[in-house]
Amino acid sequence: MQNSLPFSFIKGDGYVTLRLVGSMDDDQIKLFEASLALQLSDPCPHFIINCEHLSFLSKGWVRAILKLKTDLKTYNKEMRLILMKTPLINQLKKEGIDSSFKYAAGLREALVELGLVTKKMLDTDFINPFLNATLNVLKVQASVDAKPGKVFVKTDAQKSIGDISGVIGLVSDSFSGSVNITFPEKVFLEIVSGMLGETYTEMSQDIVDAAGEITNMIFGQAKVILNEKGYGIKTAIPSVVCGKNHSLETLTKGPIVVVPFESSKGSFFVEICLSA
Amino acid sequence: MFAPTTRVLIVDDMSTMRKIVGKTCKELGFSDLTEAADGTLAWEALQNAPAPIGLIISDWNMPNCTGIDLLKRVRADSRFKGVPFILVTAEAEQHQVIEAVKAGVDQYVVKPFTKDDLKTKLESVYKKYAKS
Repeated sequence: MQNSLPFSFIKGDGYVTLRLVGSMDDDQIKLFEASLALQLSDPCPHFIINCEHLSFLSKGWVRAILKLKTDLKTYNKEMRLILMKTPLINQLKKEGIDSSFKYAAGLREALVELGLVTKKMLDTDFINPFLNATLNVLKVQASVDAKPGKVFVKTDAQKSIGDISGVIGLVSDSFSGSVNITFPEKVFLEIVSGMLGETYTEMSQDIVDAAGEITNMIFGQAKVILNEKGYGIKTAIPSVVCGKNHSLETLTKGPIVVVPFESSKGSFFVEICLSA
Repeated sequence: MFAPTTRVLIVDDMSTMRKIVGKTCKELGFSDLTEAADGTLAWEALQNAPAPIGLIISDWNMPNCTGIDLLKRVRADSRFKGVPFILVTAEAEQHQVIEAVKAGVDQYVVKPFTKDDLKTKLESVYKKYAKS
């Protein structure tokens, strides 16, 4: 089975996310300190502590994290705790150490505070996991090689037209948005034929299901990468829109980034929309 | 490896994924496949199967009764608790993996997956049961 250590380090651009999961008891501290030493080499990054699935910190862990904060200070770097849950906040308050830490609602807010990013929501850090997941899902599940085109921000006048779309909501405590993946009918029928090993020539329930499943897989894969970093995206269920030459309105008012793809079966596109 | 005659129960609310898992199982030599569209229907299939189910491959997120709910039910029932159970999921986050291991899952497969991915997981589950 996969590494099930209760802590992991995920490198970002100028920061490292330390992800703590479950109840942190003293027995893993030595291993943690040894792993941490490898992360503190020059140039030392800022640290984001992702507490989304953290339920308890033993006294030993509290000491280890306070020591990390002190160590970071010597490098002129900082630490932020993100996605804190009430029981943990209460634990730190009870122990009188809650003011020893700085908190942020989510990864984006922490990175803005640390001066690592601007307030702009959609950047490559957020888009690339969806782009890579799209390529991987189509390659592995349907043996389709796709290539991303130039990413652009959609203007009000631009309509994205397609015949079948998978749509899924992006919801976290600090932002919301959606991801749409839209195909022309002919392209999608060929993709699903490759995926299921049967020839499909017209829309059917299997085709609709396949659009939902592909969207679900892309979302799932991107969500794991983004949540390891601390975006805190919640589980969502995809829906499918069918109709010749339809265009979709996004649920939120933020900018819409379009990633066009070319593939051996034809072109399609992914749209990502986010707002705070 | 599991005998090709092993009766496999494939559980997924999406017909597409049932087809993909079924097609992959056939490519790996299995011929006795049963399908269910959620955990509740899978539980019925387990009880009513004309011959014992020898392997369960279930999706995680499903309406009515999820894969984890089904797993817990299977592990709590003396008739079925020894049936090898593999979860298929699109979202293998660390806390979910921990939850699945605690509930008694034997392996999990992350979507999308290849025939070789599933084969590797099946071999590891088979070895585990062969040892015990």
